[in-house]
Amino acid sequence: MDGRREGEPTPMKKRATVERKSERELVVTRTINGPARLVFEAWTKPELFKRWWVPKSMGLCLHSCELDVRAGGKYRLVFLNEGSAPMEFFGRYLEVIPHSRLVWTNDEGDEGGAVTTVTFEEKGGQTLLVVHDLYPSKEALESSGSMAGMPETLEQLDELIVSLSASSRNSATSAGGSSPR
Amino acid sequence: MTLTGMKKHVGVLEQSGLVTTEKVGRVRTCKLGPRRLEDEAAWLERYRQLWDARFDELDRVVEELKRKEKVDGRKKRG
Repeated sequence: MDGRREGEPTPMKKRATVERKSERELVVTRTINGPARLVFEAWTKPELFKRWWVPKSMGLCLHSCELDVRAGGKYRLVFLNEGSAPMEFFGRYLEVIPHSRLVWTNDEGDEGGAVTTVTFEEKGGQTLLVVHDLYPSKEALESSGSMAGMPETLEQLDELIVSLSASSRNSATSAGGSSPR
Repeated sequence: MTLTGMKKHVGVLEQSGLVTTEKVGRVRTCKLGPRRLEDEAAWLERYRQLWDARFDELDRVVEELKRKEKVDGRKKRG
């Protein structure tokens, strides 16, 4: 058992990286401080998934979340956003390999959506996550909700980022910069 | 930068659609191409920040699971 890290400050702020691998591919990577089986659990149990998929201050509320995590199983997420219609995201899991790999479709769009592959790679008690989105075409990637559309969401995202960076600055100041968070 | 280096540089930018060039006589003029670098860079950065915010929360959830597991483990061992 490794208990030495508890209460110690995180040595360096981990940052996600995003790369547009090709015209049709986006790849996000980041390391999470915990073993792959726990990260996988947080990704596949609805009550845990709900707690992180929509960052708190985003202003969106993840109203319901059904995840039938097995090959062929379906998922459905419903977001409520004040003053606009609920947004639904849904699709099917194509591949489920516990603690190591998840592949799902994104079927909410009118045309073919992206296929998302997440790999969990454990190293020294930490897990490297690689989230790979493969779109059916360059146009699909560029017009996807994540890129061009959903200006409201992007605005909210901006607000979120501003409030996040403000709060992290505040906490850093109040804790003299030595706080782990 | 040498002229050859410059040519290579512009060639890469042109291939990726960031600039278009036109040669009139001895002069090659560059214009911003159909792809806007700042647009894409800004978008990618926003996308990255979304995932970072998400992963910060995920880190918290995993941290909690770790702690819980440790406590449960201790209980089991008595």
